[in-house]
Amino acid sequence: MNEENNRNFDDELMAAAAKLSTEVTPDRDLWPGIEQAITQPARPGRTAWNSVWAQAAAVVLLVAGSSGVTYLAVTEDASPVSPVAEGPTLVFEQASAQFGSMYNLGPDYQDARRSLAVKIDEELTRLTPEERAEVEKNIELIRTAIEDINAALAAEPNNELLQKLLFNTYREELDLMLRVDSIASAAMRRGDI
Amino acid sequence: MGALSAARAANSDYEAQAVAADAALEERAWIRKAQTADAAAFEALYRMHIDKVYGLCLRMTGNVAEAEDCTQDAFIQAWSKLNEFRGESAFGTWLHRVAVNTVLGRMRKSRREQDRIRAVSEGSSTPQTIGDSGGFRDLEHAINELPSGARHVFVLHAVYGYSHDETSEMLGIAAGTSKAQLHRARRLLAQQLNTECA
Repeated sequence: MNEENNRNFDDELMAAAAKLSTEVTPDRDLWPGIEQAITQPARPGRTAWNSVWAQAAAVVLLVAGSSGVTYLAVTEDASPVSPVAEGPTLVFEQASAQFGSMYNLGPDYQDARRSLAVKIDEELTRLTPEERAEVEKNIELIRTAIEDINAALAAEPNNELLQKLLFNTYREELDLMLRVDSIASAAMRRGDI
Repeated sequence: MGALSAARAANSDYEAQAVAADAALEERAWIRKAQTADAAAFEALYRMHIDKVYGLCLRMTGNVAEAEDCTQDAFIQAWSKLNEFRGESAFGTWLHRVAVNTVLGRMRKSRREQDRIRAVSEGSSTPQTIGDSGGFRDLEHAINELPSGARHVFVLHAVYGYSHDETSEMLGIAAGTSKAQLHRARRLLAQQLNTECA
């Protein structure tokens, strides 16, 4: 009997829900705000580029800042460590490794990174000198961060925070290189037109 | 007499179908124009669908201001993705999907869900649509009180009539989760409505 009551209640509930209006008129006309957003004149290329670099710079600052702070915190009282990666080449190789027990960048990542690293010099030639300098500065910052984190990890290989930070920094680097690739392609298309 | 009634009914059906077909053709024409970055054509589409999109946003967010923002964002998103619309589904359904994604994205981003204002009706001219729902006069309020996961599933499935497959696809969850959330929503609504009745 109770089960039947429940079933009846459910049926009535669903029937009542189905009767609710699916259309509601907003109190105010929302079109002006939408129109303003969609009819804003297309921003000139420079502005869009600046936005991309502003984002990239923000990411880099965050990563570099976090890694710096972490590095200082980890190494403050520790004896000098021998870094895992002593130069860019070693850092590149480290990317294929599993970071402790928590993080692993697979072979797809390694392939993408390797091919982008090869392409990046060519892509950079398509940018203006200022843009190129900005990209190089950002890449350098990220790689410095990677080296710092690698060095800290050598002292504390099981530090999960450092593992995660290194993993994320490699991903940021890949992301930046991908952005350079797409931006340079777009610049080339604009030039072709 | 019977034949006359049947003929009238058939004629009425035919007229209704003709009106619907005209509306669909008109909508398709606006879509094509809007896809060439014609803002006036997009405004026509906005006027055709605003009540449906706003209604969905309002029921999913339970908050007038948030629903207005979501609606505007959804149309701005739709404008930027308009060339991706290939007519494989009805334009209204496509817009609904865009709106659902917008609501979920905004909720994830702002995490304002916990702070959302509870009463939909406050400061809103939301029509009282459940006057004929017997003992469920507070259903709208009760839905609004549901936790977001259960509310989203209940709104899409029970109010908008989407299947569990469609609902789960829109919300990015498994169909089984959609069913479980619906069960949870029903249970919570039953508790709430029974408490209020008592």
